[in-house]
Amino acid sequence: MNNDLILTSAAMLVVLAPSILVAILAIPMLLGIPTSEALQGKLIRTAVMLGLAASVVILAIMLVSGSRHVMLEPGDWVHIHEEHYHFHIKFVFDRLSVPFVILSWVLCGTVGAFANVYLHREQGFRRFFLLYAIFQLGMIISALAGTIETLFFGWELVGLSSAFLIAFFHERPGPVRNGHRVWAIYRVSDAAFLLAALILHRLSGAGDFDALTGTGVWPLGVAAVDSWQATLVGLLLLLAAAGKSGMIPFSGWLPRAMEGPTPSSAVFYGALSVHLGTYLLLRSSPLLEVSQPLRIAVIILGLSSAVLGSLLSRVQTDVKNALAFASLTQVGIITVEIGLGFRYIALTHMIGHACLRTLQLLRAPSVLKDFHSIENAVGRHLSPEAAGWNSLLPASLQVWLYRFSLERGYLDGFLNELIVRPFTAIFRWCDQQEHRWSRFVDGNEFRESESLAVRGDSLEDVI
Amino acid sequence: MIRRDETGPAESSTDAADRIRDMVRQAAQLLPTQGPIEVFVFRNPLEVHEHLPFDNAVKLAREQLGGHPYWPESRYRELLSEGRITVADLQAVLQEECPAQSEQPTEPVYSRRRIREVMLTHPLSIGPDAALRWVVAETDALERFCPTTPLAVRERLLSSTSHWIAGNAKQIRESEQPFWASVRSILDRAGAPPARLRDEQWEVVVLQILWQICRRAAIQTTPAAPQSAGCPLPRDLLLQATGRDLNQLTHDLLIRFCGAFLDQGYAGWNLPGRDQGFFRCFLSLYSQSQSVPDAWLRELSRELRALLLSGDSAEQSIQHSLQVLSIAEEDQQQFLCRTLLSLSGWAGMLWQMETAAAWTVRPAPAGTLTEFLAVQLILERHAIRHLGNEHCKLHGSLQQILEALRTMTLRESASVDDRRAFRIFQTAQWLGWLPEDLHAMPPQKLHDIIAEIDSFGATERRRLFHEAYERNYREATLNALVVHTQRRKCSHPETAPRPAFQLLTCIDDREESFRRHVEEIAPQCETFGAAGFFAVAMNYRGAADSFYKPLCPAVVTPVHYVNEDVGYTFEGVHHSRARLRSRLGRVTYGFHTRSRTFLGGIAAGIVGSLATAPLVARVLFPHLTARIRSRFGTLLETPPITRLQLDRYQPDPGPGEGHIGYSINEMADIVRRLLNDIGIRSPQQFSRLFVVCGHGSSSLNNPHESSYCCGACAGKRGGPNARAFAQMANDFRVRTLLRERGLQIPEDTVFVGAYHDTCSDSVVYYDLNLLPSSHRADFEAARDAVQLACVRNAHERCRRFASAPLNISLDDALRHVESRSQDISQPRPEYDHATNALCFVGRRTWSRGMFLDRRAFLVSYDPESDDEQSNILLRILAPAVPVCAGISLAFFFSTIDNTRYGSGSKLPHNVASLLGVMEGTSSDLRTGAYQQVCELHEPMRLMFVIESRPEVMLSIMDRNQTISQLFRGNWLQLAVIDPETSEVQVFRKGRFQPFEPAATLLPQRKSSFDCYSGSREHLPFSSIDDAALSESLRQDRTDAPDTWKRTSPTTVASAANGAHRI
Repeated sequence: MNNDLILTSAAMLVVLAPSILVAILAIPMLLGIPTSEALQGKLIRTAVMLGLAASVVILAIMLVSGSRHVMLEPGDWVHIHEEHYHFHIKFVFDRLSVPFVILSWVLCGTVGAFANVYLHREQGFRRFFLLYAIFQLGMIISALAGTIETLFFGWELVGLSSAFLIAFFHERPGPVRNGHRVWAIYRVSDAAFLLAALILHRLSGAGDFDALTGTGVWPLGVAAVDSWQATLVGLLLLLAAAGKSGMIPFSGWLPRAMEGPTPSSAVFYGALSVHLGTYLLLRSSPLLEVSQPLRIAVIILGLSSAVLGSLLSRVQTDVKNALAFASLTQVGIITVEIGLGFRYIALTHMIGHACLRTLQLLRAPSVLKDFHSIENAVGRHLSPEAAGWNSLLPASLQVWLYRFSLERGYLDGFLNELIVRPFTAIFRWCDQQEHRWSRFVDGNEFRESESLAVRGDSLEDVI
Repeated sequence: MIRRDETGPAESSTDAADRIRDMVRQAAQLLPTQGPIEVFVFRNPLEVHEHLPFDNAVKLAREQLGGHPYWPESRYRELLSEGRITVADLQAVLQEECPAQSEQPTEPVYSRRRIREVMLTHPLSIGPDAALRWVVAETDALERFCPTTPLAVRERLLSSTSHWIAGNAKQIRESEQPFWASVRSILDRAGAPPARLRDEQWEVVVLQILWQICRRAAIQTTPAAPQSAGCPLPRDLLLQATGRDLNQLTHDLLIRFCGAFLDQGYAGWNLPGRDQGFFRCFLSLYSQSQSVPDAWLRELSRELRALLLSGDSAEQSIQHSLQVLSIAEEDQQQFLCRTLLSLSGWAGMLWQMETAAAWTVRPAPAGTLTEFLAVQLILERHAIRHLGNEHCKLHGSLQQILEALRTMTLRESASVDDRRAFRIFQTAQWLGWLPEDLHAMPPQKLHDIIAEIDSFGATERRRLFHEAYERNYREATLNALVVHTQRRKCSHPETAPRPAFQLLTCIDDREESFRRHVEEIAPQCETFGAAGFFAVAMNYRGAADSFYKPLCPAVVTPVHYVNEDVGYTFEGVHHSRARLRSRLGRVTYGFHTRSRTFLGGIAAGIVGSLATAPLVARVLFPHLTARIRSRFGTLLETPPITRLQLDRYQPDPGPGEGHIGYSINEMADIVRRLLNDIGIRSPQQFSRLFVVCGHGSSSLNNPHESSYCCGACAGKRGGPNARAFAQMANDFRVRTLLRERGLQIPEDTVFVGAYHDTCSDSVVYYDLNLLPSSHRADFEAARDAVQLACVRNAHERCRRFASAPLNISLDDALRHVESRSQDISQPRPEYDHATNALCFVGRRTWSRGMFLDRRAFLVSYDPESDDEQSNILLRILAPAVPVCAGISLAFFFSTIDNTRYGSGSKLPHNVASLLGVMEGTSSDLRTGAYQQVCELHEPMRLMFVIESRPEVMLSIMDRNQTISQLFRGNWLQLAVIDPETSEVQVFRKGRFQPFEPAATLLPQRKSSFDCYSGSREHLPFSSIDDAALSESLRQDRTDAPDTWKRTSPTTVASAANGAHRI
């Protein structure tokens, strides 16, 4: 009984700490009240310490008491009887979510401390930490989500904050463009996710994962849907996961996401964000048990992404790109592991990879010094000349493969030509038709803004 | 190919190729000159224009590179309101620019002087057109006087205009002239007949009439449209017509390919065919017929295959591109320049790798930049064709597309009349130009006045503001110097006792405060400054290094090699440690690369949780981690006692056995040269202990680390140079030789080499095992003084770090700067050369005790020891002037325009190809100082104050082209001082003028601490009164050196902990 009380309050704390942090950071900003860097640092530290401590307490009690499934249900927030729809919020603490939550706290805390120094005196300091807090909240919610709506909510927060942080340096066009691009890809994966949620609702009348995974505790759950339903929902979830984790065909966004400050790149694209897709797959892994085709699809996607990632990473000549694609390799391998049913291995792998990659990305600027000290120690210049299997290939194939990798597997090009271009063409056409129709109705020219010059007037007179 | 038929005989085609190569070479001069980032040397970004006067050069650079010539006007206006620039400064600058035309005390209100003065001192509208339109339409700018309009002017305007209207009542009522009609309508709108108008209503009437007159005048005198700069680039045409930027397409690919081509060993897979050169390699890689999804590249492989078959050179390809893009012959140079400049960082790096980087692992072959340009033009053609076709909906040739684009961009430019009218209106208001006068003025005169206003455009205003900004600091400096030198003369006896010890550091501005603190702590010591390689130009290899690195200014190519030798005693330890290092190195490298591969990654990922420990430790506990690391590091370090291999016993210098080192003769030359430079020529000048202190900086996670180190050692640490110099000067054979040549070093003088880390403020000494026991006491006293100076120096530096509290204690200050050098999350380990503004060349006696706020390079020079031609001064200035100018101007331009000349924010930096940094993963290489390090800098041209006479300086300028260009072209400021008489002459507009000191109060303080405590801002000058200290010292000379320790024994003890590693 006592345990239950502690568990519930700790669980509340885990969820409330990041939410209150967001509120505390956001409200003064909205009201225009200045807060010092030191104060913000302290707030973030407190929130992380509280959340981490509460998560560890939960882990300890779960280990001691043998309970493997703790729920926190703030209840239905929206209930539409006619449509049989309710927005149900539920948080689940189990063998999957607790380690992931602890990982999130540790990484967010460490990288937060890093960023607190790194972004010192930066103009966008508050903006960064607000987005960072939102990201952290999104991670915790998605990790703990017990219903698909809750997961979607957290997932969106992560996506939103990611896109804004990629475009953090919004005075330059590059980051903004790349932020848009990532945002657009997130929309595609969100659409797949929403569709999956909808279908799930149609099938089960509720968004609980219980409906998918039966009543069993992760990873022992058994899906309560039949094979083709599982395949349909599973494929949509796979698409969503591919978008979020930068797997084929969406891998092109990974390097683009490296436009933000180094710490945000590290924690998002090295560590937490990229694993959100695989986390989703893990969460819904009972579906894989039911549907063989889904399983094969997961393995194929994972394997091809891993191979692509290792190829691409091999030819990159800058640190962050190389690490971004190295992450893709690992995410692909984790996906394969999930497909093969090694869930615990996948979980361990995910956590290990996240920590390692975060460290590597944070230390990315050291690469020059590292190389020199290694060269001095080894006594020769480092050169990959002799290394690698690629030297075994015939020359023309080598060139072919090298170019394929240098061009990042042409994935961006394919997306541009096959999806973006037709998509924008349709909307341009619609816009034209609307323009024509309103001109016909109204009888005169309008939308003057469109005829203005692309660039505005001069800022200064030059003599 | 078409061009074959047109170029005709082979001879003319080689001529054409030469021409292309020449044009590329010329264009390359405009590219950034920064080479591989591991050797970061500060250089003037506009070095290529140094033959021009400064102001012309910055304007030219604005046209060519698009960089700001000065700060934005709004910034200067802020400084004006803050008092950093005063109205008096502006007036003085104007006086210099346009001397008063008459002897009258007040200038006429239409004079150039008055017009410029009000335009600078009053809030002139400087926003964009839209903002101006808003001001005119929505604010009361046309109804109320500007708040800064003087009261007397307002009253004059009101009263005389009301009389004028009363006097012309008839005309206003009846005249059909448009002017009178408009006055009539203004009066009608005023709300009452003129006689009964209240003052506020009169104000509206007067200003409206004035606005009418100004507006009409502005329209009548519309200046000719400024000539567009040359032919528009195809890219600009495309951008204006369609809003699409072709660079977006081409740059992405070029950056990737350049990165792969230049990679110094980071990627796990080398670019195949790199040895064929840039062009061929590109052809063979991109001519493969892969089905490329990107629409704009679809035609590329076909063209490249044809090129590959025909065997055309890069030059021929450029010629072809020029022809197809129909660039006229006279525009070609400019076109090629601007094309290269669009990706200037990478292009510049290619050029550097091609021309000045033979020492790197993989330099680029000759002609690479030309080949790059050929590729860029090919890609641009494809991009233009693609974007043009898409936008114009036509499938024509390039010429047709360009033609279509040209017709689309023929738009009229926006009118600038309103902006001009408003400026005239504002000026008229401030100067009290009466509407009646303006109306009655002959048109020619009115036009002249307006031309006067027009000619004072934004760039001119910014230039004058900048002059005033520099003048303010210059006056303050020179005034302070005059007072300070007078004070020094009064308070100091001619005959000084033998110094307790002597300290020679680099001339670096960061050593200014270090020296000042040492002098304060040990008033009986003497300090010197000389370029930090201490005349020892060498290729150096440490015991733990595998390669020789040059340790001398970047312009010098050293021929001598010096090796750190372990000797026999520790040979075994050394070898086993070297093996261990090598093994560890191989493991680390394996982990580095394998963790990114498929299989290695699995293993790394599974055990990756272990990475949490270093991750958390390094971020949260940097200091502790650093200590643990150094504890384990000792297991890998070189043995504690090593020796520099300095003696050469073969005739020629070289890296081989026996060729390493210097001959005794050469050593004697080096020692004599340096000692003469700093003004030591007689045995009485030597103390018992002479410390030579090189400097450098260490920080973590910082690709720009080299920029913090010693500029005179090619961006490396200057410790070995100091060590080598001390070893040479201690050598008895060298001393014998020197005695024969007339420079006698006393027997009891011992030289000790040292190294100062300017980031963590620690000093280590070399070869202490060789220190004679007779000098122990001297050394310990000096060491304690230096150690305490480090602590105080750290404390002084901390005032600039916003994350260190202003009331930080001495011990915490040292810990703070140490943790800065050990923290992987720290983007500002130190502030580098930021705030540098001065360079003093001369004896330390006159500048000693002056608080210079770490803003001055200090070069030691004694005119009395110089010969009649001042050859020593020339010898000192020949490297010091360009090096200091490089640092100063690099910071100047990086601060003025960080986007163009600096490398932007450090936060998203990403090391590319082990050569430079990009922002994010696909940007141009960024060169120059980054934003975080410039944030404190005040961009001013460095001012040299030299202890010399005007005619000497003029003769030096005549003898040295570089010095002449920099001073005569106003890239630097110059003044000479005679410390005996405190007379200063300033070099302005090509000649020396006596400086007239203004009566200033130079605060006199007890210590540096009193000068800086409690402030984070730039500080004024002050004198530090060391009379009291030296007095007390003179009294208890008996127990001399120990008195210094009494200053703060606890601090010394705690901070000296473990500092003097041998």
